[in-house]
Amino acid sequence: MMILKVAWRNIWRSRVRSLVVIGAVLIGVWSFIAMMALSLGMTGGYVDNAIRYQTSHIQIHHPEFNEDKELAFMIEDDLTEDLEAKSEIVSTAYRSIANGMIRSSRSARGVAIKGVIPEQEERLSQISEKIVEGTYFQEDKNNQIIVSRELAEKLKVRLRKKVVIQFQDLNKEIVASSFRIVGMFSTGNTMADLASVFVLQDDLNELIGKDNALHEIAMIIKDVEQLENVQQDLKSTYPDLLIENYREIAPDVQLYESQIYVSLSILLAIFMLALIFGIINTMLMAVLERTRELGMLMAIGMNRIRVFFMIVMETLMLGIIGAPLGMLIGWLTVKYLNRTGIDLSGFAKGIERFGMDTVIYPSLDTEMYLQLMVSVLITALLASVYPAIKAIRLRPMEAIRKL
Amino acid sequence: MAVIITEQIEKIYNPDKVPVHALRGVDLEIDEGEFTAIVGPSGSGKTTLLNIIGGLDTPTKGKVYIAGTDISTLSGNGMINFRKDHIGFIFQSYNLIPVLTARENVEFIMMLQKKSKKERDQRANELLDAVGLHDKKNKRPMELSGGQQQRVAVARALASKPSFILADEPTANLDSQSTADLLDMMAELNREEGMTFVFSTHDQRVIDRARRVITLIDGKIAKDEVR
Repeated sequence: MMILKVAWRNIWRSRVRSLVVIGAVLIGVWSFIAMMALSLGMTGGYVDNAIRYQTSHIQIHHPEFNEDKELAFMIEDDLTEDLEAKSEIVSTAYRSIANGMIRSSRSARGVAIKGVIPEQEERLSQISEKIVEGTYFQEDKNNQIIVSRELAEKLKVRLRKKVVIQFQDLNKEIVASSFRIVGMFSTGNTMADLASVFVLQDDLNELIGKDNALHEIAMIIKDVEQLENVQQDLKSTYPDLLIENYREIAPDVQLYESQIYVSLSILLAIFMLALIFGIINTMLMAVLERTRELGMLMAIGMNRIRVFFMIVMETLMLGIIGAPLGMLIGWLTVKYLNRTGIDLSGFAKGIERFGMDTVIYPSLDTEMYLQLMVSVLITALLASVYPAIKAIRLRPMEAIRKL
Repeated sequence: MAVIITEQIEKIYNPDKVPVHALRGVDLEIDEGEFTAIVGPSGSGKTTLLNIIGGLDTPTKGKVYIAGTDISTLSGNGMINFRKDHIGFIFQSYNLIPVLTARENVEFIMMLQKKSKKERDQRANELLDAVGLHDKKNKRPMELSGGQQQRVAVARALASKPSFILADEPTANLDSQSTADLLDMMAELNREEGMTFVFSTHDQRVIDRARRVITLIDGKIAKDEVR
């Protein structure tokens, strides 16, 4: 197509000017990809942590448990067989939970005391991997407790020291028992770490006064995309239980997830807007300095549709040449940083408190690259309209005579 | 047969504010095969007349027929398309698309006419041979001399098989030798192909070669001599 050839060659008439625009697009796309990957890496880390150590994908409770945290709001049904039969569910943990106090000789704090089955938690919450002092639960020992290092510091206790846990049992009687700290964990989320301690389920249930006390079932599913389907399926099977996904359990996670997209969209809009003005400016210059030539083209019979098309194509090419290259560099940057990670611990000490990892692994879906490409295309298309209109408004006779 | 007929054309610029009568009733008939120069001092209306018969401007009053079509009724793209098929233009300068080679420039207008690639190739080659540029076909305008550029413009004007060729001061930027060569070539095309040429010019060398000279003064035909 000859007009495309003309349009393409026209771009290179003002090499430097065109390269400035192409460079701007390239750098813009590149930095946008890097920033997007960084933000998503940060959110991803946060969400992953929240799921892994706090919420899992789906949790099941007695409908009133979340409000009152009363021991009496137990899950009475036996879901074990049913849940094991579901192929979407990768791992499940059954917990009894008592809200009470943990006391050392120096201090006391309110915590959620989680009675767990060690093997289940190992598969599900991987708290075992976050043990920073001591060990995970050991076999054949009673009254073991695992607390976070932060909590131990608050209580001013050390490993292998005893602490007392205390709560109201099912009969509203205060029960207390002493536990020995076998391990300390730290997940990176200080707030969450301070709020829970882990003991063996048998030990806790004995204190509660009911062998099979069960308050929480947490599970991880195979494919997060299927989250709502699995949840819906469970809901219909167990209408009397409260079945929530991680977004419902921790609205902050959802907020964080959605907010990052909003802020990225705003940033993208700003980037596009700046790009539009840059492209319009360049193309307007290109059109105005070619007034006579455009006049000649219209005089010899190039109609307005073709002139319009030519300028649009020229603008489009100018606007998008830089994008693929910017994406390639961006992709390589993300790939590299994803392997090495960005260590923020040096200059962001407080970041752990918010439950974020100090090492960020930027990552970006292919879909995002496509979306960005489409955005650049739309930007260039929008930017092409004004210069093209300007070009076809020229009156050939006046343009030619403008000597 | 008349290629161009104008009937009492008048052109008034600025009719509302300070009216300027550029043309005051011009009757003109140019037949097929003519080699005609339109001359006249600045402000005589020469350029206006040329624009009107070239379909680049419309008269305030009167009618213009090109190859039997009343072009004063055409507008916008209709007019552009008419020019594409019926009028070959050669301007003083800025004739060629700078980013295209000589051959591509000649092909371009045929592309606008939706001619096949094969036909375009063949005709562009023939025409560039005919204007004596067989060895410059792949040069861009920048790499050609002024005279050579005008030859490409002639080839381009011929490519669309127009009813006539309108040449607006085609020799204004050329030296004597190039002017003579260009005029020889156009005269030959006129003689052998019967192509009609209408010039607007100040150049005595062009006037000397014209077979009919129409002199405009103050928007009217003052003299019309056939040699």
